[in-house]
Amino acid sequence: MNDTAIVTDSVKRFKWVGTRPIRPDGIPKVTGRAMYGADLKLPGMIYGKVLRSPHAHARILSIDTSAAEKLPGVKAVMTAADLPAQKFDYIGPERVAVNFWHVTRNIMAREKVYYEGHAVAAVAAISNSIAEEAMALIKVEYEVLPHVIDVDEAMAEDAPLLFEDMITRGITPAPTKPSNISKRLEFSMGDVEKGFAEADVIVEHEFKTAAVHQAYIEPHSAIAKYEADGQCEIWSSSQGHFAMRALTAQIIGAQLGDLRVTPAEIGGGFGGKTVTYLEPVAATLSKKSGLPVRLMMSREEVFRASGPTSGASMWVKIGVKNDGTIVAADGIFKFQAGAFPGSPVMNGCLCAYAPYDIPNQRAVGYDVVSNRPKAAAYRAPGSPISAFAVESVLDMCAQKIGMDPLAIRQKNACRIGTPTLSGPKHAHAGYLETVEALMKHPAYQVKLGPNQGRGVASGYWFNGGGESSATLQINADGTVLIATGSPDIGGSRASMAIMTAETLGIDYSQVRAIVADTASVGYTHVTGGSRVTFATGTAVVNATKTAIKILCERAAMIWGVDPEGVIWDDGFAKPAGSNVGDFKPLSLKEIAGKAAATGGPITTSAGVNAGGQAPGFATQFCDVEVDPETGKVTILRFVAAQDVGRAIHPSYVEGQIHGGIAQGIGWALSEEYIYNTKGLLDNPGFLDYRCPVASDLPMLDAVLVEVPNPTHPYGAKGVGEVCICPPMAAIANAIEAATGKRLYELPMSPPKVLEALSA
Amino acid sequence: MASGPARVVFTSGFAARYTNGVREFDVWASNMRQVIKAMDDMFPGLGEHLEEETTLAINGEYHETGYFQPVPPGAEVFFIPRIEGG
Repeated sequence: MNDTAIVTDSVKRFKWVGTRPIRPDGIPKVTGRAMYGADLKLPGMIYGKVLRSPHAHARILSIDTSAAEKLPGVKAVMTAADLPAQKFDYIGPERVAVNFWHVTRNIMAREKVYYEGHAVAAVAAISNSIAEEAMALIKVEYEVLPHVIDVDEAMAEDAPLLFEDMITRGITPAPTKPSNISKRLEFSMGDVEKGFAEADVIVEHEFKTAAVHQAYIEPHSAIAKYEADGQCEIWSSSQGHFAMRALTAQIIGAQLGDLRVTPAEIGGGFGGKTVTYLEPVAATLSKKSGLPVRLMMSREEVFRASGPTSGASMWVKIGVKNDGTIVAADGIFKFQAGAFPGSPVMNGCLCAYAPYDIPNQRAVGYDVVSNRPKAAAYRAPGSPISAFAVESVLDMCAQKIGMDPLAIRQKNACRIGTPTLSGPKHAHAGYLETVEALMKHPAYQVKLGPNQGRGVASGYWFNGGGESSATLQINADGTVLIATGSPDIGGSRASMAIMTAETLGIDYSQVRAIVADTASVGYTHVTGGSRVTFATGTAVVNATKTAIKILCERAAMIWGVDPEGVIWDDGFAKPAGSNVGDFKPLSLKEIAGKAAATGGPITTSAGVNAGGQAPGFATQFCDVEVDPETGKVTILRFVAAQDVGRAIHPSYVEGQIHGGIAQGIGWALSEEYIYNTKGLLDNPGFLDYRCPVASDLPMLDAVLVEVPNPTHPYGAKGVGEVCICPPMAAIANAIEAATGKRLYELPMSPPKVLEALSA
Repeated sequence: MASGPARVVFTSGFAARYTNGVREFDVWASNMRQVIKAMDDMFPGLGEHLEEETTLAINGEYHETGYFQPVPPGAEVFFIPRIEGG
């Protein structure tokens, strides 16, 4: 990779922050010894399987499990009747307003199946083959119902209804007729009509994006061991074992204290492992059988039954003056929620124009159910979808007024104090710096050949903060253990160890970073929302600072002076001044060796609800070549500038950016769910659902722009999500530059490109 | 440094649901506990909705809605629907 770093501040350099030590989990992973969800085996463990709906939409008339229960080797069979009823209520935050009436029905169908692959029953048996045989003995009588897949068709007046009593929220007065529209949202600022009246050029168009899967390599898996005393242990692969504990407890009707969840190593999540599918089922089968139960999805099950992100249908209109000033932006964003309400349409609305200073803005969103698996989060959920439309239209505006696409973004770039559609004014800089980093990039001046084109796009993501915990232990030999509750998806063990070593002033090799289970460290929210380095990192630094205070107190005791007379400097306790006395500095190891004599083990914990996270800004350009005979688009070059605050471990920051680009390229060019006329998924596997592989990708050039976040001890900003926002529009804009033809629908696969070329 | 009461702002949707459509309020407060309590005094039950359903921006800085955040004099306190990432 040709990655580069641009540092915009001149504060002091660090000893470990910004270096690239080997990750603590590297060797187990490359030698195949890391324990993923499917690797763990427990004594007496049995095997679970889930029976899934063969229909896109059907009423369940009856389920007869008697024959399966009688099969020798079968230890438990369950249906939704084994789970407690849940109240119909949208609980909690808007975007993730969890309605457990829906959640429990997604775990296991009750009155109806809402999509092909919807779980209907589950069995646990002494072998996988017996479990499969038992599944075939379960008799389910269905009344097949009309189905609807596409979001626009689902919004039609005569569309088959998934929920006969669903009244659209967010409309006053409330509609009198049910529909598949779960919710309508509207955000606006300024006077949009007046803004368009001032525009010299107005561009508007409709766009469509396909639902795409997070395509983590490791399928979902979970093991549960339910004891007779009501205590249950769960091992699972997820982005948050505390979240899995909370969701499972609610679904099975247990107390949080009765569940202990241990995180397995995780083979990718990208948002899709923030929700539960298997843990409550495994726990219920274990409770019924009295044995540990393992459940694991096949790849087909992952595609058919776990969340992709939404596909969408959108309309965007932007007005600009001839000098490039954007005066108004308007958009309608209709997102597929899947079978149950809850798409990321609100995020799509709020992020749509966020990089820009536009006085008049409006975004209207619709959350729409259809007969597809329930949508789940996927990197910057919602933002990449609206960015595809907005960044395409902005490119069209720039073209109409003859302005360079980076120049129009530079002219309208948001700054500190710029109002946003979500309400608050921007409190952090960083966007303009990404645009200007690309303007200065030598590759932006490279001349392109025939059938080649260059496209630019930007993206915005809020980034997260919130609750995290860390526990620090100092061992007698001076090594340090830092435990957090954040599953390590993107190298967080390394960044936690770096921040611990930096704060203590000791060598990185003296720190061990682990991910602890729900009984061994305090509550920690999911590894998602680009929050871990910021929020969990803050907890780590706080725990380390408390440890330093104790180390100074212990040194004071050793020297027989007041604790205020001791300072911590570069890994040593030192006298604060010559008046304290002439003492040889004490290393952490020396103090640790005296721990018993000075008060016992040195251990600290910190819990934070971290706020003040800075958003993520990204601007990218790519060069493509379009084969006019086949329609194949080859990515020649991809340069991605991103404001990363400060890169704690630059290699993993670059890795996040590379990954976001690669997934964005797949979203742009090849990935889509293909349904047949019966509403059944025709491509539930990696052969037919085409993710990019290494040979599809050029060298990816990540440009790390460092505008430090003053609210983080080391200036970190979340980096894992915003990188996936620009690629789809950047590629669409490049295709247009190469061919003169614009594509408005994803994926821009060869057949669609050929169709556009021949139009 | 601005002085005076904090300006508390809701989204139009939130205001329509809970504050009779009124979006902006002036509240004397030095921390978020006082802001939430003042709003709950005006609209009984509103405090719980604020805690459960919103994210907070104090002068543009995002926080989870809690009691402990300090509110500078003259701050703009914006309650928006909570954001969840991937």
